[in-house]
Amino acid sequence: MITLPPQPTQPAISAALTQTTVRVNSDFRGDRIVLYGAVFDPARTPSDVVVIVRGPDEPIRIARKTRVAGVWVNSRPVVFQGAPGFYIAASTRPLDDIARFGVLRRLGAGVDHLAFNAPDEQRVETRYGVRDMVVSRLGADYLDWRNAVVRLKEAQGLYAVDEHGVRFVDRGLFRAEIALPAEAPIGRYEARILLFQHGQPVSEKDRTLTVEQVGVERALYLWAHQRPWSYGLAAMAFALGAGWAASAAFRRD
Amino acid sequence: MDIYLPIAEVSVNAPLLVALGALVGFISGLFGIGGGFLMTPVLVFLGIPPVVAVASMSTHVAASSMSSVISYGRRRAVDFRMGGVLAAGGVVGAVLGVELFRWLRLLGQADLVVALSYLVFLGVIGGLMLWESAGAILRRRANAPPRPRRDRRPPWLYGLPLKMRFPSSRLYISPIPPVALGAFVGVLSAIMGVGGGFVLVPAMVYVLRMPAGVVVGTSLFQIIITTALTGVLQAGRNQTVDVVLAGLLLLGGVLGAQFGARASSRFRAEELRALLAFIVLMVGLRMGLGLFFTPQEPFVLMSGAAG
Repeated sequence: MITLPPQPTQPAISAALTQTTVRVNSDFRGDRIVLYGAVFDPARTPSDVVVIVRGPDEPIRIARKTRVAGVWVNSRPVVFQGAPGFYIAASTRPLDDIARFGVLRRLGAGVDHLAFNAPDEQRVETRYGVRDMVVSRLGADYLDWRNAVVRLKEAQGLYAVDEHGVRFVDRGLFRAEIALPAEAPIGRYEARILLFQHGQPVSEKDRTLTVEQVGVERALYLWAHQRPWSYGLAAMAFALGAGWAASAAFRRD
Repeated sequence: MDIYLPIAEVSVNAPLLVALGALVGFISGLFGIGGGFLMTPVLVFLGIPPVVAVASMSTHVAASSMSSVISYGRRRAVDFRMGGVLAAGGVVGAVLGVELFRWLRLLGQADLVVALSYLVFLGVIGGLMLWESAGAILRRRANAPPRPRRDRRPPWLYGLPLKMRFPSSRLYISPIPPVALGAFVGVLSAIMGVGGGFVLVPAMVYVLRMPAGVVVGTSLFQIIITTALTGVLQAGRNQTVDVVLAGLLLLGGVLGAQFGARASSRFRAEELRALLAFIVLMVGLRMGLGLFFTPQEPFVLMSGAAG
């Protein structure tokens, strides 16, 4: 007699990354991360899967060009906090078809729903008799600034929405592929795999991915950032030595 | 074959960088200049963050100047005393320049100041050089005698106190103008990622009235000291020096410089000057005129968010 494991009564999702570390070495040109997962649902309710991969948070400084005396100059930069250095939302269908605005906003699913703001531009004040209202100095332009951040990050391949990035390859078994550009930041990435039914998230799994520099690159990076002065002296000694060696090698007597 | 740069955190084509180094090295050997003013804009165009390009160029310029100054030194074409006085100013300028660059970067105005500096300095110097060399070429074509060189020494230069003797340059002047010139070039070197030879050489010829034979060697000697300090300061203060990038450029640069130096004997001096003036002018206009056109993308992300 084989005892079958108890059948789950609730729909559940399970997923795994085919690699949990990405090694950045001298020939790193970006990578593709493959994720496999399965949906367990005895009721066979129509399901959607959303995969959100978020890189380490990095404050973003962005400036707007304005014309001053015929010359285009940068405005004072605005700093956005809490923005991920890398973000991709892959799904089986366009996100707007999977769930409603409020649900996506709460989950931070999709570049339009990413929660980041510019605290230096904000102040809390009392308006119309309402206390503790958050007012942004960017005013009505706030959306322009926010959209610009997303647009520029998308142009670098660091933010993306892939409406058909998750595919069911067999009944209940799905596969997603995440493209990581060479500019992707170093650090810990969080992958959230969400199962949606009837527009609501019903199950969730979290996986982590580490992007790390290895070998000479890592040694140089750490040296340059942890002991910058000795790194600078060594770099300059190397450069002067190379110049001297070149002149000695090409000396015509 | 792409290679990942650890500090710039971007991936670049290695043979392309070596070839670029060789091309700029060739030009620098041909004209006896550092070539930083050409290399820095091209690196930015290739997608290297400007702050990393400017800082890494200082190691490259120091190395290529080192390789040339040795041969000038053997020919006794370096005034070490004058070079030392210029470098004393250069040290002050480099420290100020690195701090100024850091401050501008935090204000988000580094790009503007870099572009304006290129437009103003390269535009003015390229224009003057082109005017002067075109005149020389035309006079030679017309078989007119070269314009007699005015050797009237400016009185403000000779009236200053603390006079020093510079035997190799046959000068007896106050060190104040060379120190000021060195400081100015030091600031430029930190902000523009250049050695500053294109400012230093004309200033030494036309303002300090140094003999032509020692000008290039002395300017290279001062550039080594200034850029070596700039590079160490940029690494220490801003963590923006990428040795892999500098190494790749050097590889091509030293080879190119040697071939350039050999090729230079095949051209007439004024034709070379006219060609250099044209290149300088084009780079200045290319870097600076963008400021006047309406940008397609009105927003710009700033690198180095942590400041």
